[in-house]
Formats: sequence, structure tokens, C-alpha cells
Amino acid sequence: MFESTRRDFLKTSALVGGGLMTADFAALAEAALAADPLPAMSIARWDESLLADADLVAAAVGLTEAAVASLGGMDRFVGEGDTVWIKPNIGWNRRPELAANTNPDVVGTLVRLCKAAGAKTVKVGDHPCQPARQAYRNSGIAKTVEAAGGKMVYLDKKRFVDMPLGGEFLDEWPVYKEVTEADLVINVPVLKHHSLTKCSIAMKNYMGVIGGNRSAWHQNMDACVTDITRFMKPRLTVLDAVRVLTDHGPQGGNPDDVDVRGIVAAGTDIVAVDAFGASLMGHGPDDISYIAAAAAQGLGTHDFASLKPVERILS
Amino acid sequence: MSVLSRARLIIWIRRSVQVAVLGLFVYLLTANRPADGAAPTAAVDFFFDLDPLVMIGAWLSTHTLEGISLLGLLVLGVTLVFGRVFCGWFCPFGTLDNAVSSLRNQYRRVVKRTEEFSRWQRAKYFVLIALLVMAALGAQWIGVLDPFSLLYRSLSLTVLPAMDIAMRTVANDVYLADPHLGALHLRDLTEPVYTWWQERVAATELRVFSGTSAIFLVFTVALLLNLVRNRFWCRYLCPLGGLLGLFAFRPLLRLTSDPEACDSCYQCTLACPAAAQPEKPGEWLATECFGCWNCVGSCGNQGLDFKWVSPLTRTSSGSVDIGKRRALASVVGGVATLSMMRITPAANAKTFEPDLIRPPGARAEADFLQRCVKCGLCMQTCPSGGLQPTWAEAGLEGLWSPMLVPAIGWCEFECHACGQVCPTEAIAPLPLDEKKTVKIGLAVFDTTRCLPFAYGRECIVCEEHCPVPDKAITFELREVTTREGDVLTLKVPRVDPERCTGCGICETKCVFKDLAAVRVVSANEDRHPDNQPILVGGGQGGESYGY
Repeated sequence: MFESTRRDFLKTSALVGGGLMTADFAALAEAALAADPLPAMSIARWDESLLADADLVAAAVGLTEAAVASLGGMDRFVGEGDTVWIKPNIGWNRRPELAANTNPDVVGTLVRLCKAAGAKTVKVGDHPCQPARQAYRNSGIAKTVEAAGGKMVYLDKKRFVDMPLGGEFLDEWPVYKEVTEADLVINVPVLKHHSLTKCSIAMKNYMGVIGGNRSAWHQNMDACVTDITRFMKPRLTVLDAVRVLTDHGPQGGNPDDVDVRGIVAAGTDIVAVDAFGASLMGHGPDDISYIAAAAAQGLGTHDFASLKPVERILS
Repeated sequence: MSVLSRARLIIWIRRSVQVAVLGLFVYLLTANRPADGAAPTAAVDFFFDLDPLVMIGAWLSTHTLEGISLLGLLVLGVTLVFGRVFCGWFCPFGTLDNAVSSLRNQYRRVVKRTEEFSRWQRAKYFVLIALLVMAALGAQWIGVLDPFSLLYRSLSLTVLPAMDIAMRTVANDVYLADPHLGALHLRDLTEPVYTWWQERVAATELRVFSGTSAIFLVFTVALLLNLVRNRFWCRYLCPLGGLLGLFAFRPLLRLTSDPEACDSCYQCTLACPAAAQPEKPGEWLATECFGCWNCVGSCGNQGLDFKWVSPLTRTSSGSVDIGKRRALASVVGGVATLSMMRITPAANAKTFEPDLIRPPGARAEADFLQRCVKCGLCMQTCPSGGLQPTWAEAGLEGLWSPMLVPAIGWCEFECHACGQVCPTEAIAPLPLDEKKTVKIGLAVFDTTRCLPFAYGRECIVCEEHCPVPDKAITFELREVTTREGDVLTLKVPRVDPERCTGCGICETKCVFKDLAAVRVVSANEDRHPDNQPILVGGGQGGESYGY
């Protein structure tokens, strides 16, 4: 572990990783340096001693609001009239209690915050592994999103378009056109176990915006996940660790594999959010190879503590 | 009101009813699409509940009425009173035949010769007898020719997918090319229509079916035959029409004619779609008549009318003589056809077809074939599109019955829509929790293709998709050395045959798309103890699938 400030990190990575970084990331880093020093990461926790009896709906709503507020509010990311695409994990036809999908109240709250910040359209969609209609409904997400004025989008197989990823491994891959046209994409993963990568968090959640033969990515997951992350230029990531799937991921199905953690984190650095999520599952910053790879490529820091996340405890 | 204007009013009402019923049929078909995960409404199999041929056929073949609707009795009752009005007023396939016939009559001079009664009309009774004999011997082939099954299967497996492809092609091309004039985008016009289509008519994802050219051919030929004779199907072939004909031998409402008024113009003959001889006083054929009122409306002298007659009266109707020898020949024909269908090893349980994976809740094969009417409701509702019509897999006896083809789609863990919609409970409507434990097959690895086995590469895709909460696919860690000399620890998959339900999602999602490296076969299916290679303690051989 190394200790450093966010400013230090950005400088260091700009210098050291310069050769690896794309011009966009360098520009983003410059812009972040020049901008108002708003926090880059926030963590909202529900008081652990009260977690057993907590109303998880109210908790999920409160934690999401708090995490976004600590970052400076949704106005920081959403402009008047914007189109926002919220990308939760709705990979599976599973109930919310099984933590295979993002918590529906976290997603619903984000929709509401985006609308309040002036977004014209808030679209929510994923590319589920099981039938989309059933997954959207059984995950509880369709209900909260529609109640908050968002629109569930069912991805159409023919609308994935080859995009120049310009990655270290993949030159191009089909990505969903409508997602790339949004003014802002908010990545909202659920924290869960994954049988290949140990855990699936935000970067891996981007597998829901790609088409093609997705199964093939498992042969070189680290490279593919970092390549799509670079292409997506993440600006806001909101991690749902209200319920965490600790085994038999990414699909789960056994309530005994679910831990109630009562945590929502938000950040502008997707690698840091992933590293924080991994730490909640007991993994160090280098234990998860795609997180280490992303950090090495300069996509962000896996030392999330260096961002000095704003922490709030709710009850 | 004169007879003529009353007839014209009734004909107008009849046409409206026909259109409305056809509309209801199509609506119920679309209501059976895979939706938001809610069970399809119980009414989606309404037409099959109402079908007396399905009722009698299933009763004959299963020797029980369990799980079979008795609504068909209502149709038989109506037929006893009004004759075959079901054919003339209600049957949606009859309405389509009616429409094609009308088209024919617009372009072709209708001549008396083709509209007079032909003895070939007896064919439908022979077909009926053969089918009923086959049913009594346990082969439910009625669904192949039952008009509701024929129409439902043809629409949902061929017509709807074709329309779906057309809609998708246009909508997606417009979306991606985005032709526009300034701020006017063509996609703003097509997108709402496309969304409506996906959410209310077809489904979110395109579903297409294999081996459907034969289904489409039968459907098209049945419709095109109407160009040869008015309502060819209904007159000559329809076994349901034949069944109703038997019940219409002496209806209470009969066509009566006034011989004085007849000047032998044969307008009624030309107007009659059923060739029921309205022109011959006293020889009108009640068993052929659709009760459409066209003849009454065509008689300028107002010499024809439908009147209430006591059932004891024999007057004013002729009869169609099936003939004892011909009836006997039909019986023999039914037995012969059935026997020929069964001269295969699989039909006698000498072998089991590995690809014949029946949906969960499907009864043991013989029992299943006694009930399945090949209507296609299960395939229409399957959210993954994996339920497909058989071609040769279940033999000729099981033609167009459902089987899961995991290369196309899998059996969704949290779903038992097929069992809920099956009109004859060939697929039993199991509670969802019970369905999740039913074994329909077994996953088998092809180690010459599977990436960790054959190529020393990581994968795990089958394992992550396995929906069984504690996983039916597990890993063995195995060290391999790459050609560069690096040592990798790979997760090599293995199937736990006691947990694998054979749902097939591993095969669907396998990275190999031409021939999956993990494939599901029918081995281990609960419904056949003889097809279970895996020894388990306790109730070895699985539960008996009597339901």
C-alpha cells in the first residue's frame, strides 16, 4: 500500500503512465486538476449496529442520496436537458433479495436525482444473460425506475455497432449505439462474487453495453474489461453494496450467499470504486487482476484511500 | 321485415362475428407472448378449451378427462340445435378460408358444377374416423389437422416471426441509418410503432423456429385450396367440421324451401359455400350446412328460410351416406397409419433420442403424445425461444410437438409458462418451485472443444450461467503449461449429474456457436427411468411421472 493524495496520484500517473495513457485520459486528468477540488469519491454506510433491523428500502434510498450529495450532488454530472443512461447490473432473472442485480431502490433514486438535476430523459438498460423482460421485472428495477420517471430500454441485438475501442487488446467490438449517444452514462454495479474474476463490480459491469460473442471475453477478461472501460470514459460510478453476493456469483440464487452490508459508494474514478468494492470482499488492491491491470494502465487508482473519500454514516 | 332483409341483416351480423372471433384468436395469440415474467393469462388457451375435437380426442387417447376442458360440450350442444354454425360463424380458420374464397369469387365466375354437393365431401368424415381411431389407440394426431391447432401453430411459428423480421429490419435499418431532413427524423416515426410491436404483439427478442417450412406449406396449401373450391378445407377435409357434421344430422333450426317459389335459378347454390344443396327442396344437407344464411339472402323469390323444426321431424333434410364399408376402411386406415408411425426403435423405447428434450412437466413420452395437440402455445410463450417444433426427433407420431433446442434457447429457471398454457396438460402445470427441480436432460462436455480441456484457456461461461443456486457445474483446478512455458491454473468444468436439470443455458451461452462444447441430451430425464444413467440413492429411477 502507498499513501498519497489524489493530486499526487494524478501527477504521478500523468508522468509515469504517460506513455500508456490516451490523450483523453491525460486531458481528463488536467481538467480534474484545474477544476474545483470537489471530492472524487464518497462512501455512505448504514450504521452497522442498526443494520440487522434496518428497512433496506429506506436505507438504499438514503445511502444513494448521501453518496451522491457528498460528491457535490447530481448537478455536478447532469446538465439541463441531458440524456442520461443508467447502467445497473440486471444480468439475471433474480429477485432483489438474492443480490445478483443492482438494488432497485439505488437505481430508482439515481433516476429521480437525474430528473431533479434537469435531465430530459433517463434511460435504464442492461444486456441481461436471461430474458430481459423477466429480468427487468423480477429484479424490481423496472418498477422503481418507471415510478421515478425513467425509461427501461430493452436492448435490440441489431443495434450493437462495431466501435473503435482502440484498446490494448481489442481494436473494435460491438457496443450499444444508444448508450454511446447519451450525454452521461452512470455505471451502477452491485458488488458480487464472480467465479472467474473473484468479484464483479463496476468495470466488469460494462459487459452489459457490449454485444457480439460476449462469452469469448472470459479468455482474456482483464484486457477486455480494461479496454471497454477506457472506451466508456467513466465519469460517475455508484457502487451498490447494500446487499452483497458473496458466493456462487455472478448469478447466485441462494439467500445464504447474501450479506447485508448497507453501503453505497460513489466516485469519479471507476478503478478506485472497484478497489473499494473489492476491499469490502476482503481483497487487496492487487488481488483482483483486472483492477490491478486498470491501475497499471492509468485508468485510475486502485488506492482508493488516496482519494480521501468523504465518509458518512447514516442511521 | 321481409325474409330477404332479415337474411341480409343476419349475414351482416355473421360477418361481424367472424371478424371479431378471428380478432380474438389473434389477440389471445399475442397475449401469449413472453411478457414481463407474469404468468400468461389463463384465457390464452380459450379456443382449445372450446374445441370438442380436442376434448374427445384427448379423452379417447388418455381414457380420462383429467386436465381436459369440457367447454367443448357447449359447442356440441349448440351444434345439436343450430347445426354447424360453429363453422360458419365462429371458426377463425373457417373465416380465413371464407376470405380466400371470397377473393376467388371476385375474380372467377362461380359455376354451378363446382358448387353442387360432391361425394368427396365425405372425406372429412373418413379423416375424422381415422384420427379418432388413432386417438383411441393412444396417438393424438388430431392436432395436425385440427383447425385451431393448425391456425395457431401456423400463425405463431411462421406468420408472426416473418412479420417480426419485417418490422425489425425496417425499424433497425431506419434507426441505424437515421435518415432525416433537418430536425425531422424518420426514426421518430418508426420507433413508437416498433416499441408498440415489441411490447404488445411480438416480443422483445426475435424468436424463430426450425423446420417450419412444412408447417407453412400445410397452411398455405390449405388456404390456396379455397381457390379450387369455396371453403375447400371446411367442405372436404376438416375433421372438426366432420365431427360437428355428425352432431348436426337433425338440428332444430333447418332450412326450409318453398318449391312453388323456386324457378331453378341456382343463385342459392352459387351462394352456398358448403355445397349443402339448398336448391333441392327436402334434400338440404344439414350436416354440410354452415348456417351462414347466404342462400336465404340470395333467393330473390324469398323461397328459402331457416325455421324451427321439431327434432322428431325428418322432413326437409337429406343425408350424406358415409357407407359402412368406407367407414370400416377408415378404421383400418387409422390403425394402419398408426402402426406404420410406430415401426421405429424409439417409438418402442428401444432407444432414446438424445435431442428429444421435453419441457419440464412433460409427461412420460407415451402419455405426452396422447395429450399433445401440437398447437404451439408452449412455443409461442417460451421466453428464450428454445422450445421448437419437432420434425423427426419424436417420430411421425410426435410431429410438431415441443422440444427444447438448447443451441437456440434454454429453459428459464424462474419460468414455467409452457406448463401454464398447455391446453391438455401434456406439460403439467407444476408449481414453480417444483418445476425448478425437474430434470429434463443432462449437460455433457465435449472435451475436444471445451476451452480449458482442449485449448488450455480460461472460460467458466457455462458455470456462471448455471441457474441452480449451488451450481450443477463445478470446477476442478488443473495446471497446464503454455507453449511459452508458463504454468496456468485453469478451472476445468465438471457436471454434477445429481444437480443438473438439463435446462440447457450452458449450451446456449457456450462460446462455441456452431456446435457447443457443452451440450444437453435427454439422458437423466425424470420422466423415463430407463433413460437414467446416473445412480442415486433413495428413489432411483426418479419419481413416477403420473402427476
